[in-house]
Amino acid sequence: MSFFDKNFKEIFTSQVISILGGLLAGTILALYTNKILYIPGMLVILPGFLAMRGNISGSFASRLSAGLFLGFIKPTLRKTRIVQGNLKASFFLAIFISLVLGILAFLSNYIVWGSSSIKIILLPLIAGIIANAIEIPLTLIMTFYFFKKGHDPNNIMGPVVTSTGDITSIVALLIAVVIL
Amino acid sequence: MKLHHRIRKHLQTLQGVRKEKHHHLLHHLHQKYRISKSTLFYVKEYGPGSHVAATIIMESLKILLFSSVMSSLGGLALEHIKFLFISILPLIILMPALNDMIGDYGTIISSRFSTMLYEGKVSGWHRNKELRTLFWQVLSIGGFLAVLSTVLSVAILSFLTDYHTTLMMGLKVLFIAVVDIILLVTILFAIAIGAGLYFYKRQEDPNNFLIPITTSVADFGNMVVLAVLAVLLF
Repeated sequence: MSFFDKNFKEIFTSQVISILGGLLAGTILALYTNKILYIPGMLVILPGFLAMRGNISGSFASRLSAGLFLGFIKPTLRKTRIVQGNLKASFFLAIFISLVLGILAFLSNYIVWGSSSIKIILLPLIAGIIANAIEIPLTLIMTFYFFKKGHDPNNIMGPVVTSTGDITSIVALLIAVVIL
Repeated sequence: MKLHHRIRKHLQTLQGVRKEKHHHLLHHLHQKYRISKSTLFYVKEYGPGSHVAATIIMESLKILLFSSVMSSLGGLALEHIKFLFISILPLIILMPALNDMIGDYGTIISSRFSTMLYEGKVSGWHRNKELRTLFWQVLSIGGFLAVLSTVLSVAILSFLTDYHTTLMMGLKVLFIAVVDIILLVTILFAIAIGAGLYFYKRQEDPNNFLIPITTSVADFGNMVVLAVLAVLLF
């Protein structure tokens, strides 16, 4: 077994894609530090909010890939029971977890600073709706696209979801801050 | 025709099996009719009798809640040193990239170790060459990309803003990124091996436990390590 084998190349390539997305998201975060990071409780929300894209959209892509390979799902945008069920579940989970993150940040603000502003609950909720309205359909379209092109979406979608997810999440948070 | 009817009857029985239960019929159908385990699993989980959205929500909710709480606890560590953290702009640029990298390594290590367990390759895991190679591969890729992303974050800052990163600050950020990766990859390996062997011995699928556990530890650990090292070095 060679050290620079197929696994090494696959891990390396996927990680390069992943960190490029991460660095772009980090750059937006650094440029808008005064708008995003100064909000009390934002650093409590941020890690979970960024991880959510991978946890929810990543699993969504993985379930779709399994269904595509087994022939239970056809790579067309026609409404089918399994695809619709996956879309509904992913949206529900994303919005529910955004709300939970908001409540956790609210509790931490209340306990540590005595602040009781409910804006910190609404912020991830609104950002979660915006980010997932983009990210979940994007995951569906890209998984079908890569499958139709003859690629294994399992090998590609992980880093794609984390990098696009980081960017949409930070931009969505920024939009939510502007709205509120 | 008779065979087709028998298989269909078995598959219908399978759809009625409780979701969390491993049914002997899965093994029987796989052995006798050569139907892949993935197909049988998909029929059991998302067959015509099941409510797809409800199944996914019920199975994912607990672990997502656990993961959110862990991430928020990690974030709380950073919130406590917020003003120090915000003053180190290269670290802010690096944070999402480090988070992604460490989370991805958790997934890679877990899924590869689970596969090794199923293939019976880890009876003497400490002498296993494949496992050792994977460890050094992940560690070297992580180390190299930590250096690369630190250099890029400093370059991005000097290109886009007036922020001046001193050599000492750049070296400290580089040290934080590299130590963060080395420490967490080692911890994730230890957890994947320990928990993987434990769940496998209990005849449970390590795939269902290892990825959520390692990614949660990665999220939490990354924030705590960043916070601790930032306080110690700045």
